[in-house]
Amino acid sequence: MKIAEILHEQVVRTQLPGNTKTDIINAMIDMAATQERVLDKEKMREAIFEREKIMSTGVGSGFAIPHGKTDAVSDIVAAFAITAQPIDYQSLDDQPVRIVFLLVGRDNMVGPHIKLLSRISRLMNREEFRKRLLEAQSPAEVLEIFRQEEEMHFEV
Amino acid sequence: MVGIDFLLLIGALLILASIAIAKASDNLGVPTLVLFIAVGMLAGSEGPGGIFFDDAGMAQSIGIVALIFILFAGGLDTRWTSVRPVLWQALSLSTLGVFVTALSVGLFVHYVLEFSLLSGLLLGAIISSTDAAAVFSVLRSKNVSLRGKLKPLLELESGSNDPMAVFLTVGTIQLITSPESTLGEIILLFVVQMGLGVGIGLALGKGMVLLINRMKFSYEGMYPVFSLAAACFIYALTAVIGGSGFMAVYVGGLVVGNSEIVQKKSLFRFFDGLAWLGQIGMFLTLGLLVYPSNIAHVVGGGLLVSAFLMFVARPFSVFFATLLTDLQWREKTLVSWVGLRGAVPIILATFPKLARVPDADVIFNLVFFIVLTSALFQGWSLPAAARLLKVDAPMVRRRRYPLEFEPTEGVDAELQEFIVPYNSSAIGRPIVELGMPPNSLIVLISRNERMMVPSGGTILEPGDTILALVSRENLAEVRAILAEQKEKAAEQ
Repeated sequence: MKIAEILHEQVVRTQLPGNTKTDIINAMIDMAATQERVLDKEKMREAIFEREKIMSTGVGSGFAIPHGKTDAVSDIVAAFAITAQPIDYQSLDDQPVRIVFLLVGRDNMVGPHIKLLSRISRLMNREEFRKRLLEAQSPAEVLEIFRQEEEMHFEV
Repeated sequence: MVGIDFLLLIGALLILASIAIAKASDNLGVPTLVLFIAVGMLAGSEGPGGIFFDDAGMAQSIGIVALIFILFAGGLDTRWTSVRPVLWQALSLSTLGVFVTALSVGLFVHYVLEFSLLSGLLLGAIISSTDAAAVFSVLRSKNVSLRGKLKPLLELESGSNDPMAVFLTVGTIQLITSPESTLGEIILLFVVQMGLGVGIGLALGKGMVLLINRMKFSYEGMYPVFSLAAACFIYALTAVIGGSGFMAVYVGGLVVGNSEIVQKKSLFRFFDGLAWLGQIGMFLTLGLLVYPSNIAHVVGGGLLVSAFLMFVARPFSVFFATLLTDLQWREKTLVSWVGLRGAVPIILATFPKLARVPDADVIFNLVFFIVLTSALFQGWSLPAAARLLKVDAPMVRRRRYPLEFEPTEGVDAELQEFIVPYNSSAIGRPIVELGMPPNSLIVLISRNERMMVPSGGTILEPGDTILALVSRENLAEVRAILAEQKEKAAEQ
């Protein structure tokens, strides 16, 4: 599955305001929950923060990927944000975070879920790609950058 | 009366044989329907199987039930976003196109084979709908796909033209059995049938989505059962109040398949299985029902009608129905060649038998022969035709089903996914050296679109996501192993 297919303009934000990790994750849950496929927003929130407790999803290099699996969604739910300011995310490399990808999958769909996680994390490991995202001015631009990058790196 | 044990044994053997033969001939490029029918014929009273079966009513009932499954599954599987751009072209093909096909075949049969006009039209109506499943099974076995709008167009056409063929058949039978009916009545019947079919399909499809999402069954197994009953309900309710049940169940499937619903994947899989069962069951039954020696009598006429259908009626109706569209001639030519006839005509051919229409037996045998020849001949030549017309495209990988897992009660360990941190010190070292605690295990690694089962020597890479079986007490330890950072930060 392509990342460009699970994101659309309503769930992408550049310059997302917020001071803490919790602020940011909550703001992204609000963005994502406008979709019909989120059946139970609070339950989804619980799953994401529950997962965050197991190990911080700030995987390094200024990028974090809060995620969870729950039956509170009917299909894959995603949101993407560039934060307005660097956030202390308790990342594993102690660096502040500015790029956040939220991904929630159904709890009986482990396969696609971890495939997507790994695709996102692999893409985000490219410094040049992160730079381009940080410079994006609009959601549409973010989506275009994702599309180009995926076309370049994956056979789809 | 034969006991149920014995019936089950026969039924199971026939289905197993069909599956085995379909599997064995995967690469032959013969539509599987031909093979299933062949199994039925071999098992039948004139083949070595010697099973006597001539109950057209029972065959029709099986056919209708099977068709409900097939149409609903077909609706589920149709992506609205991909068929939306070809909606009008497909609808033109499945209404106007079907009508023109039926009419021209009817006239041909009347003038050349000297059927009465109504019998000719009846035959035309019966064989007027196409079968996309047959088409795509051939293309898939040859690893060929079709370019651009062709695939959604053909899928939507063949999904939506069955109700039209059913209507034309029923309408013509009505003209034969009660000659006082007027054309006005028939047109009214058409409007009522299609209107009710689309309306009820839309409404009940929406209702089904709401219910599935609200129900919160405690047992997952209930979802498919509920959907099965709902699909049958959509068909039956519409049919009972005088609408086109087939149209309703197809539209209902379309609505459900394009909505956000819980358990979507498992429902899709369930109906996919049912549709296959429907296909096999239906073709086996039809194979049993037919008497090859009777088919032999109609070979001459059958070949004539078949050739007329393939080379004149279908191309003419396709070009006529797409006159106002922007399809290129290559595309139109391919659509003309994809006129494979499938199960629907054979099921429809049992209608006149049951209505005791004169010529019913000849019509049944002719239809059977035409379906076989079109499936064999057009099916076989289809990949070559697509290549010749330059409208073929490489096959995209089929979507694989997700891995599923259920936490087991009483076992403390849980499957937990971890994204390997970019600068983790676990990267670049064989798994066996990581010092994972005794009760935990890295079960899967997802890397580059692939899932791999690691061995002790597998080396983790940045960007990997792992699935690990970890017990609660070991969690901290596993976390520490993955979270530990290499001395110097990367990419600085």
